[in-house]
Amino acid sequence: MYKYDHIDQTLVDQRVAQFRDQVARRLNGTLAEEEFRPLRLQNGLYHQRHAYMLRVAIPYGLLSSTQLRTLANISEKYDRGYGHFTTRQNIQFNWITLEDTPHILADLAKVEMHAIQTSGNCIRNITSDAFAGVAGDEYVDTRPVCELLRQWSTLHPEFAHLPRKFKFAVNGAKEDRTVLLCHDVGIELKKNKDGNHGELTNGLTADIYAGGGMGRTPILGSLIKQGLPWQLLPSYLTALLRVYNRFGRRDNLYKARIKILVKALGPEEFARQVEGEWLHLQNGDDNFTRAEWDRVAKHFTKPAYQTLPTLSNEQIIAKANGVDTVAFSRWLERNVKAHQIPGYASVILSLKPHGTVAPGDATTAQMNAIANLADQYSFGELRVTHEQNLVLADVEQAKLFELWQAAKQQQVALPNVGLLTDIIACPGGDFCSLANAKSLPIAKAIQERFDDLDYLFDLGDISLNISGCINSCGHHHVGNIGVLGVDKDGEEWYQITLGGEQGNDAAIGKVIGPSFYADEIPDVITNIINTYVAHRNEDESFIDAYGRLGVIPFKEAAYQNAKKKGKTDKTVGEDA
Amino acid sequence: MSNSNPTKLIQSHAQVLLFPREGKPFLAPNEWQVWDVQDESGLPAEYANSKVLVPFTWWRSQLDSRHEGSDVLTKAKKGQIGVWFAADDDILQHAELIESGKQYWPLVAAYFPLFRDGRSFSTAALLRDRLGWSKEIRMIGDVLIDQLLQGARVGFDSFALRHDQNLDIALKQFDLFTVTTQNSWRGKRSLLAIS
Repeated sequence: MYKYDHIDQTLVDQRVAQFRDQVARRLNGTLAEEEFRPLRLQNGLYHQRHAYMLRVAIPYGLLSSTQLRTLANISEKYDRGYGHFTTRQNIQFNWITLEDTPHILADLAKVEMHAIQTSGNCIRNITSDAFAGVAGDEYVDTRPVCELLRQWSTLHPEFAHLPRKFKFAVNGAKEDRTVLLCHDVGIELKKNKDGNHGELTNGLTADIYAGGGMGRTPILGSLIKQGLPWQLLPSYLTALLRVYNRFGRRDNLYKARIKILVKALGPEEFARQVEGEWLHLQNGDDNFTRAEWDRVAKHFTKPAYQTLPTLSNEQIIAKANGVDTVAFSRWLERNVKAHQIPGYASVILSLKPHGTVAPGDATTAQMNAIANLADQYSFGELRVTHEQNLVLADVEQAKLFELWQAAKQQQVALPNVGLLTDIIACPGGDFCSLANAKSLPIAKAIQERFDDLDYLFDLGDISLNISGCINSCGHHHVGNIGVLGVDKDGEEWYQITLGGEQGNDAAIGKVIGPSFYADEIPDVITNIINTYVAHRNEDESFIDAYGRLGVIPFKEAAYQNAKKKGKTDKTVGEDA
Repeated sequence: MSNSNPTKLIQSHAQVLLFPREGKPFLAPNEWQVWDVQDESGLPAEYANSKVLVPFTWWRSQLDSRHEGSDVLTKAKKGQIGVWFAADDDILQHAELIESGKQYWPLVAAYFPLFRDGRSFSTAALLRDRLGWSKEIRMIGDVLIDQLLQGARVGFDSFALRHDQNLDIALKQFDLFTVTTQNSWRGKRSLLAIS
């Protein structure tokens, strides 16, 4: 993975010093809270219900075992013994004091980490495919471009106070695992053999999608540029962000994302304005150079793989010597993914054990243990998925059984990846001051209701995502089943959407009707699932059955024992 | 006049912070007052003999009007008029007028209605990169200590900080970072600068 050089390290160290001074001015009263707020947000520090929350950047979800140990140490020393991995591949600590923050940032800087631009109205942490560099279906390893963009966007002066937050995702595989179209800008990298863009390009080009997003106006991004040579990304993105910075709405917080501008202008007109601006920039020296590519790309070479035979599932299961073969097979089926290299596989460690506090949480002990597993089985590296699980990307197939046994001891081996209980959820009203309603008890209740692996396996692929407010940190819009917390006259209610999907067939779910009380949700989900089971064809997934049957049977089932309904939904919330 | 600007402009310090592209930051007396249009009457008499920054939209309207334009031009020819751009002035729509202004204006300014409104960063960048403005660009309005670095990098070389900001701390902002990872008006990104 990428290693900081003198430039990166100096920048991060100096950023710590800058923030230390800003905190000191806040504490001595010379900097007002209202004016400190954007400064701390741009360093990942939110003020929440109980304390400050610090969001630490994990660029494109890539993490070393050393970095994970530092995160474990922070969770123990400054927090309450756990951290929460997020849908944007970052980690959050929920019980932080303002006074400790500069020390934490200094600890992070020692292991080449930071919290820069993990919040605020600026370019946020750039996310990508958690399986970049190892996925069997990959066209392009996205990591070098992600790292170049991380550097380019870090402390960018012109775009420090955009109308609203700005999120990039980068995909380079056949299957989209980044929710590309739900980002302000989605960058799809391709190898274009016919491309004639000079030696630097190496056929690597980018398609640019703009104006996607979730929140209260969920929209899928529109393709505004095709075949952009990779090295021109800085000038093109400068043009795009400049148009947004100048003309994005600032009069209404809820209309300020780029999706609203793209929608108002129309994607063609937006693309034309970006193109017009880019004409003046494309030949400048903002663009990436060969030296920059080489500096970064050399860190993303393949690790020292051994020459190994590819093992069949039967051969892998045979390693179990007849012990626990059913459970191990299930884990192989759900949590182990194909690898580019013969004899290797990628393993997803589930942070969604049934009935625990929060999807995506890991304790200090788990983080330390998982760091050891990474050292032992996967070249000391890990990845964070946007579904809030962890990945050991380079595991020898012959060692899968050994790893499974070790993972079980840490309660991170539940074979529920992609199943109903692999719930994506934001921290919700238990922590977040923006939330209208709690997310975590809902996730817990659903996991407890469906705590039967046989049944979960029978149901197959199905995604259930929960957001505690319309800001949609829990990605409810793209869950096959989405649950959204809403506020009605001070009470917590939950709205259900169906038909959302991530991946290549990304779709925004549709609201099925009036919202429900919290205690109704497990029954509502059960009724929806029973409808699927009753009507599905052989081997038909939930989302395919929904597509064939339409919303009516699911809706009727959902409301069959609903209690009295409230008035109009209020989906008000604010985000930072 | 733009409705994104308050009718009463934000008061700045009596001193202005100057940070030339080649040089060190220092404080100097602020010789320029900022005037905003309050009604239909022209530039108040109090500005008759002083240096004043006028709204760019007002300058435009004056040049369009034959009667008053000459007075403004007379004052401008004495080097006593500069213009300030509101955050929502689309300067690219007025490139020719700004080009002709180069012969009159000793400086221009860009207004920050609120410290976290970043539009004027792009205004300064465009003035430098696109419109070839090489003289002073002043940051005015809700100008706080923690915006100075960003302002200095996009093209501002003059800062009229809000009256309550500590100028000693302000002066120390510009050497916080010795490296950068993108180009700016002041220099190339570190990797290009050293290679």
